[in-house]
Amino acid sequence: MLPSVTDMSKPTDLVQGTLDLLILKLLAIQPLHGWAISRRLRAVSNEVLQVSEGSLYPALHKLEQEGWIRAEWRTTENNRRAKFYELTRAGRRQLQEQAASWDLLSSAITAVIRLSEG
Amino acid sequence: MRLERAWTTLRLRLRTLLQRGRMQRELDEEMQFHLDHLIDDGLARGLSPDEARAAALRTMGGLTQRKEEVRDMWGLTWLTDLADDLRFAARSLMRARALTLFVVMALALGIGMTAASFSMLDALVFRPYPVPDPGRVVTLVSTSRDNAFEGFSHREFRDLEQSATSYDGLVASGTVFGVGYSPDARTSPRVKAGMLVSGDYFRVLGVEPSLGRSFRADEDRVPDRDAVVVLAHAFWRQELSGDPQVVGRRLRINGREFTVIGVAPESFPGMFIFSRNDFFLPLAMGRLFEGAAERDLLEDRDARALTVRGRLRRDVSLAEARHELAGIAAAFARSHPDLYRGRGASVRTQLQMRTQANDVNWKFGLIFTLLSLCTLLVACTNVAGLLLSRARARTREIAVRLALGAGRTRLVRFLLAESLLLSGVGGAAGVGLGYVAIQALRRFSIPADLPMSVPFQMDVRVLLACVVLAVASAVLCGLAPALQSTRADVAVGLRTADIDPPGRRSMWGRNALVVSQVALSLALLTATFLMARSFQHSVRDAAGLDRGDLLMARLDPRLLQYDPARTQRFYTQLTERMRQMPGVVTTALTQNPPLGLDAFERLAFVPEGYDMPRDRETLSSQVDAVDDGYFAALDIAIRSGRGFTAHDDSTAPRVAIVNEHMARHYWPDGDAVGRTLRIGGHDGTPVEIVGVAQTVSMSSNLERPDDFVYLPLAQRPAARMVMLVRTTGDPLAMVGAVREAVRAIEPDLPILELRTYDDLVRYSMVEGPAVAVRMVGTMGLVGVFLAVAGLYGLVSYHVARRTREIGIRMAIGASHADVMRLVLGRGLTLVAIGTGLGLLLGLALERMIDSMLFATAGIDFVSYAIVVPLMLAATLLATWLPARRALRIEPTVALRCE
Repeated sequence: MLPSVTDMSKPTDLVQGTLDLLILKLLAIQPLHGWAISRRLRAVSNEVLQVSEGSLYPALHKLEQEGWIRAEWRTTENNRRAKFYELTRAGRRQLQEQAASWDLLSSAITAVIRLSEG
Repeated sequence: MRLERAWTTLRLRLRTLLQRGRMQRELDEEMQFHLDHLIDDGLARGLSPDEARAAALRTMGGLTQRKEEVRDMWGLTWLTDLADDLRFAARSLMRARALTLFVVMALALGIGMTAASFSMLDALVFRPYPVPDPGRVVTLVSTSRDNAFEGFSHREFRDLEQSATSYDGLVASGTVFGVGYSPDARTSPRVKAGMLVSGDYFRVLGVEPSLGRSFRADEDRVPDRDAVVVLAHAFWRQELSGDPQVVGRRLRINGREFTVIGVAPESFPGMFIFSRNDFFLPLAMGRLFEGAAERDLLEDRDARALTVRGRLRRDVSLAEARHELAGIAAAFARSHPDLYRGRGASVRTQLQMRTQANDVNWKFGLIFTLLSLCTLLVACTNVAGLLLSRARARTREIAVRLALGAGRTRLVRFLLAESLLLSGVGGAAGVGLGYVAIQALRRFSIPADLPMSVPFQMDVRVLLACVVLAVASAVLCGLAPALQSTRADVAVGLRTADIDPPGRRSMWGRNALVVSQVALSLALLTATFLMARSFQHSVRDAAGLDRGDLLMARLDPRLLQYDPARTQRFYTQLTERMRQMPGVVTTALTQNPPLGLDAFERLAFVPEGYDMPRDRETLSSQVDAVDDGYFAALDIAIRSGRGFTAHDDSTAPRVAIVNEHMARHYWPDGDAVGRTLRIGGHDGTPVEIVGVAQTVSMSSNLERPDDFVYLPLAQRPAARMVMLVRTTGDPLAMVGAVREAVRAIEPDLPILELRTYDDLVRYSMVEGPAVAVRMVGTMGLVGVFLAVAGLYGLVSYHVARRTREIGIRMAIGASHADVMRLVLGRGLTLVAIGTGLGLLLGLALERMIDSMLFATAGIDFVSYAIVVPLMLAATLLATWLPARRALRIEPTVALRCE
């Protein structure tokens, strides 16, 4: 049994849209299937960010419906059929916008926090 | 890129709707894949398979719930936006209940009325023939200078069949007005409607009999040989109780035994809009139903009584068919030069056949539709005005939404959703209203013993029109206000509850609304008044015709196989008998009384000594054969010369009476009496004009005065006649006597129609127009009501907005008069501009209606004299009431009100 961040705070508690941003970013590097996304997310965030495995799928499908990512069935290296997601051009633009506004938000929050410390 | 994204998302969303099963299976597989990996992980960490599985499921947070979540999401993204918009719209509309109610009502009235008028136009013009692939059924017509829609004769039809190659088949049909039907020889015959058809009729039109068979080609070859009949479905059901064994049964039609060979399907009541026939009979039996005695339907090349239709071949265009037919017509002219002078032929589509220039019915349909569209337009401007006022009043709300980050598109969409919802509800109510109106229209029946139908109905095309109208009006009344209010400056909007954005653009829009509303409703009202007044004229004129004590009986001795001589003997005997009866002033015989329902025959003639137009062989006019009592019985004055007498019989010199219009037409010097007409051509029978009769309306009270020739019945015998009996007392008291008199001479002869003449005229000339007057009147009233209400709303809103300004003005010493001038001045300017435009528009409309229907000379000033002050008064009231309210405001209150 894995102790995980999600046990204390559910992913909906993540800032709204953050999960979307993370998924888009991961897919911008290379097309991935759901399982790989969840592993990769955990690995690159040093196990800090861990999405509830289930809630990944509603998010993926929503992004697909919005036209930001595109799905395709391919075979994995273990010869299993899996649904791979990749970024569309609209998704790439969406990623840029979201990343920019995230930067803005996080630097603002950082500034505020530093301010209160100082 | 945007397009690409729209395309992929649309495709995906459609997939979630249409391929739900497959999407689900894919989702199952996808999540199973994830679960398997989790289980593998668990096993790798040394858990038992069961434990691993349980742990994996826990990590997923429940497989089923997650799948449910995804599925919800599929549906949601598709619907959320629309549902959100509609829900918000509904909520905000419920808050403004009075406004909502008014708008829905206005739109319902507009859409409902348009639906009703359109159903009329639809029935008269657009409804396709009740046969498979109706678009390829065309009508072949013989054309001449006077008539571009004439039929063909039987001989011509057979020649066409031989030489035309553009069609999958040609059919001919001829209506026979009344046939005598009796189930057996002992029963006295009743009148029914028949239709002569060529042998291929059903096969070419693609109609399969519901019982038995249709005609064989050889049953239409030998004259008078094959007495077979196909029954119409309605006749079979009503008269023969839908007898399934009917094929082979024998019926008597016009005294001859016919064998039933089939029953037409219910879906095929015939090819005509109004008339429904009971029998389909072979063309070769035509002589049994022959009209005029002197012509032979089957042999005479110029007896053009048949409607010829063809099913155009798929690989032949209309132009090619026309070209071919013109060639055939030219060949006709080469072989019979005397019969084809100035005559050609053409191919007409269904639409062309139904929109003939001389037919007023479809024009009424068109005018009504245009007028009701005008009403709808008034309703739309109205609603637009109201929504605009409302949107301005909501400036703050919208500014807040904009400030919170709502996109402009999204807000426009929301506002459009509001008007879509309004017009949707309005449209639904309009369909209901239209349905009621159509039912009311259907109740208007045509007085005839033969089956006539008024085919107005709420069908697919009418419903479709309603939907289109509803959506169009939603966009029309919603878009402008939506665009304008979202343009508002956020900062300004947040500061005040309601303020005009700087610049003139928005004011211009609102002013334009007021002006167009006044103009449109004024034009509408003018047209309404014009039509109502014209109809009223017609009703009054019809009443002016002295018809009070006339009884009419329609007779046709051909139903009993009378020959022409015996027919005339019968009419002479009947006249003698009737005139001797006590209570009878006089009697008249006519082929068709004035304002009756039949069309008059036409007579070709050459006036002797008249300079004929170079390109014409003969002139033509309407004609009626009447007896010596006609002018006295109908009280038509003889202006000069004499009327007919009993001496104008078949042995006497041939004479004629013309109406004043015709006398002035050819002999403007007033010396028509004594002149000679040559019937049929310049070497035809000479006929002396012995009298000039007063011009009366013959076919319709709305007709332009036209030439008319009366000939003595004895010199131009006809079989189907109407006897008019002028009585001293109640004409209906004579009904028994008329029946008795006919029975005494010929016991088997049915009386086709027996009613007071007043009845006939009232039906055709009064009740029809009365329905029209009511329809047009309703439109006008609704238009004015909407316009006044809309104006009131706009103007009073305008005044309310200036409450503070008025307060300031009064506080610094403006008098009541000053303020009144201020408020009224603006409103009046707009109304004046609107009135001017409306007058111009009304004039154009009047010209149009005039050119389509009536011969009203010049402009109808009375209409304007009533309409313009009415509109002015209405708008003044709408301006004055709010102005007065503004004056009552205490300056202190006004100043505080913001």
